[in-house]
Amino acid sequence: MNWKVLGAGFLVVAPLVVVLASGFGRDPKALPNVMEGREAPSFSLTDLDGQPVRLAELRGKPVVLNFWASWCTPCAYEHPELLAAAQRWAPQGVAFYGVVYGDTEEAARGFLKRRGSAYPNLLDLDQRVAIDYGVAGVPETYVIDRQGRIARKFVGPVSAKALSDVLGSL
Amino acid sequence: MISLLGRTLVLAGLGACAVGAVAGFVGGARKDADALRITRFMANAFGALMIAATILMEVALVTHDFSVSYVAEVGSRATPLHITLVSLWSSLNGSILFWGCVLGGGTLAFTRHVRDHDPQHASYALGSLLSVGLFFAFLVAGVANPFAATEGVIPTDGPGPNPLLQNHLLMIIHPPSLYLGYVLMAVPYAMAAAALLAGRLEATWMRLLRRWMLFAWAFLSLGILLGGWWSYEVLGWGGYWAWDPVENASFMPWLTATAFLHSAMVMERQGQLKGWTLTLAMSTFLLTLLGTFMTRSGVFNSVHSFTQSSIGPVFLGFIALVLVASVLLLAARMDALTASDTATDEGVVSRESAFLLNNLLFVAFTFTVLLGTLFPLIKEALTEERISVGEPYFNRMSLPVCVGILFLMGVGPSLPWGNTTGARAWSRLRLPLRAAAVGAVIGAVLQAGPWAIATFAASAFALVVTVHELLEPAQARVTSLGESLPTAFLAYAARARQRVGGYIVHLGVIIVAVSIAASSTFKVQRDLPLTVGQEVSFEGYRLRFDGMRTDTEPHRTAQVATVTVLSDSGTLGVLEPKMNHYKQMREPIGTPAVRSGLKEDLYLSLVRVSADGTTASVRAMVEPLVAWLWLGGLVMFGGALFSLWPRGRAVVAASAAQVAPGDDGAARPAK
Repeated sequence: MNWKVLGAGFLVVAPLVVVLASGFGRDPKALPNVMEGREAPSFSLTDLDGQPVRLAELRGKPVVLNFWASWCTPCAYEHPELLAAAQRWAPQGVAFYGVVYGDTEEAARGFLKRRGSAYPNLLDLDQRVAIDYGVAGVPETYVIDRQGRIARKFVGPVSAKALSDVLGSL
Repeated sequence: MISLLGRTLVLAGLGACAVGAVAGFVGGARKDADALRITRFMANAFGALMIAATILMEVALVTHDFSVSYVAEVGSRATPLHITLVSLWSSLNGSILFWGCVLGGGTLAFTRHVRDHDPQHASYALGSLLSVGLFFAFLVAGVANPFAATEGVIPTDGPGPNPLLQNHLLMIIHPPSLYLGYVLMAVPYAMAAAALLAGRLEATWMRLLRRWMLFAWAFLSLGILLGGWWSYEVLGWGGYWAWDPVENASFMPWLTATAFLHSAMVMERQGQLKGWTLTLAMSTFLLTLLGTFMTRSGVFNSVHSFTQSSIGPVFLGFIALVLVASVLLLAARMDALTASDTATDEGVVSRESAFLLNNLLFVAFTFTVLLGTLFPLIKEALTEERISVGEPYFNRMSLPVCVGILFLMGVGPSLPWGNTTGARAWSRLRLPLRAAAVGAVIGAVLQAGPWAIATFAASAFALVVTVHELLEPAQARVTSLGESLPTAFLAYAARARQRVGGYIVHLGVIIVAVSIAASSTFKVQRDLPLTVGQEVSFEGYRLRFDGMRTDTEPHRTAQVATVTVLSDSGTLGVLEPKMNHYKQMREPIGTPAVRSGLKEDLYLSLVRVSADGTTASVRAMVEPLVAWLWLGGLVMFGGALFSLWPRGRAVVAASAAQVAPGDDGAARPAK
């Protein structure tokens, strides 16, 4: 056994493996978000069934707010993920809401009819709420904690697992 | 149906690998001919099964069989056939299958090659190669199974492959070329492991090892080059290299493989550096694994990364295992190999020293790139801070090393093996040094920066040496045999393929170096606002915006700007930079338009278009000599293939009779 080679080899190899292993669970695309940690902008909207929904009344519950549109293909991809997350978390007191963004009421209804729905969808026809939240495009998903602060913002399609990780920590 | 059949093929391949690997190691340890026969059979079976599985996947893709989950993920009826064929490697699971297919093909070829070689070496090498195959077959069969059946209702159509891959034909050849380079590095690795396990390394084994390495190296070089070219033609920023983690991942094994090809020459010639050379061969494969991990694990952010996936931890486990096994193997067996190293009395001024210095530079370069690539991970693990290591670090660190390597490319070949005197060395370097001075003056006159000047000087230096080395033996034939220079050169080149091929690669490197220095130093870029009918002048060109049009294809719509390029002598042509809107993407993807020339490229990329299409903003660039980068890369590839080309029997016999002393040993006849 050549101990010098062994020592030198492990001197290179060990840190390499440790560094690579430490990279797991890290999302390379995540950027610090200015909205995270701030109080969620309040809103008062009506859903597709005409029921009014006010954020203030949801205080004390975690809220998941998903901005979407029927014309947005990534939204269609993430839709089943959201349904799965709602199925798991709604019974535990998490309020799920979709917010229809830049779309017509009719098209939004058609989307939900084709792909299923499990929670209320709110109409933000003048996009005022989207502007308050700083939505740059769809889909975007906000997780609001029990105190009404934005705990996490997801840009692009979200997975049920990623949502569960955040909801589990609230 | 295809799901089941595909899974069966892959599982059979997995079984063949497992049995073959065990038989290989047993056969090596016991020098058992029967075990070797089993290994060879299993190796052939593995190769055939992986290729069959890949063909089956292609059939599924072409017939739009959406019951196969991979087809449902990347297939689409609207996608043209050639894109459908290559969508095999457009997403994670398919690309791992393709990895397995290339490894299978390599295993078939290698099994043929080792027929006439030492049985113990052959056993160990096939055993090691099949162990690598075992891991990939395991990935394809389990974690990344592309043949999994689609869950739920089988869709009637799918989303199609990633739009970026549909944008350019280079995407059809860049990935397979890179894969050939990456995957086939497993063969030199297995051969090095076999030499260590057997405790001996003979010249014939080493020669086969080097040829495999050179073959893989040629495709790795080509793959890297085509990647740069694709980035230039498609991404619209006018560059070809961004020190992206995944680019670095392909560059690191290239560096160690290049170092290997040089240290192997010292080893074959002088019988030294055995342990070091094998370490380089093994590191190269380990770095390709690291590269594959980086693209496939979701740990790094890059244009190349596939989405977050579950194969990361499995892959890391495999890398860790191979790393540890390699270190242990090297430590345990290196002394047995190096005991036969011959100590010679070469002086400080010798070709060996130049090669050693070359190796040091290449390895230092590899560590620099590795550190820069991993630094964001290290930093985040220690401080939770997120940083990125950008081009400035890499450029600052790599420029001195690159210039040093270029310079050594001239010094090495001018020095003889063994010992020489300073005066003799000086007499051989005088002319190249004058050329270097001319190169520096040209750079200074063109007002280039200090590193560009140094690059031009070192390139001129290396160019004169390389041309001299290429022509000197031909010149000798002209004087002694009275042949014309081209005839003499061809006759000589046919005999000394390895040597001539090597110098052709050096010429390619020089062309690439000059092109990089010129195109990055003298690039001019401006954003031009254009109105329909208006003419703008830019760097000696006049650009006239003739309006917008919309092209509709099944999978995308494109906004196309028509720009007529004029010069004082008339119309030069029409450029049409585009913006493509794909169905499944939020952001449009631009396609720049390039007017390529040997002197310079005119590069237009569409930045913005007004709603009514009457005004547009175009980013215009002029990049000198950039086309030479692709030409130089092709010269490198051609040189490597020339060096590898098998020699005809007649030529071998002739050269065996005529091999001259002092012919650098490179013209030694093939066995």
